[in-house]
Amino acid sequence: MTNDTDLEAEIQRLLTEHDRIAEQGITVQRRDHLVVLGGEVESAQRRDEICRQISSHFPELEITCDIGITRAQAPSEVEEIS
Amino acid sequence: MIRIAAVGDVHVDKDVVGRYRPALEELPDRADALLIAGDLTRHGTVDEAKCFAQEFGGLGVPVVVVLGNHDHQSDQQDEVTKTIEDAGITVLEGAATVLEIRGHRLGVAGTKGFGGGFAGACASNFGEREMKDFVGTAERYAADLERALKSVECDALVALTHYAPVPETLVGEPLEIYAFLGCYQLGRSIDAAGAALALHGHAHHGSERGRTPGGVPVRNVAHPVIKQAYNVYQLLSEEVDTTLIGAR
Ligand SMILES: [Fe+2]
Ligand SMILES: [Fe+2]
Repeated sequence: MTNDTDLEAEIQRLLTEHDRIAEQGITVQRRDHLVVLGGEVESAQRRDEICRQISSHFPELEITCDIGITRAQAPSEVEEIS
Repeated sequence: MIRIAAVGDVHVDKDVVGRYRPALEELPDRADALLIAGDLTRHGTVDEAKCFAQEFGGLGVPVVVVLGNHDHQSDQQDEVTKTIEDAGITVLEGAATVLEIRGHRLGVAGTKGFGGGFAGACASNFGEREMKDFVGTAERYAADLERALKSVECDALVALTHYAPVPETLVGEPLEIYAFLGCYQLGRSIDAAGAALALHGHAHHGSERGRTPGGVPVRNVAHPVIKQAYNVYQLLSEEVDTTLIGAR
């Protein structure tokens, strides 16, 4: 099995270069027995696809997904630039 | 007073269509124009560009965008640009546009930009051909931005890029990748021309606020950074007025 540092790089390249994902903003953190995924994406389908792809490429890993969906509500404040 | 809405890194594909629309319907009540700082699509395909145009077109206010690195992924940036322009959206690359807003002239000059890094940790135009190409590309984008900024006569000038012109708005990203997130040459161009505001995206884990060495305010408007459909910035204020925007 690859070491932890290479694993993180491999997961990140998979997420960036896989043509159904193309996400560069996902964080990968190793805990004792599992890998925690973080960051935000634009849809629930994208989050689920990420978890599905990592599980199928690294079947020996236990994955926990903390990836959020970026909120898209209208703002309530304005910032004055000076 | 001019109010501009801004966001970046919306990465639109079929699964995103409709997510921004409720907030966008309210945009004309809140701002006079919308600027989008690149990564409009997921892989830069024409189909995705159509999804983007559907989601961000026909707003009732001018929409001005630059492309991001994702919009170049399929080597179809020209077709992507055309698809977006056909929807009435202005795409800037080393170019500028002037919007007439409430009796003011708002100038927007834009480029995608490129990486290369910042003072103390930047790539040099030296060595292998590949390295000189990398740095040369960044310098070309920065020169194009400076020329575009200097080409307009307006009351307020905004620089719009995908890559970051300063490192402050990258805080939160791993230091090791700063050189892939922006370059100091963009900041130098903005300072050389002068601007009221510089907007960029690309750094999804970065921070919102910074300034160029010359003092121009910089805002990272990447969607995961601002965590709402768009931010609103007020320029040319006659009086200090940062109260809530009246939501009708
Ligand atoms: Fe992005
Ligand atoms: Fe990007």
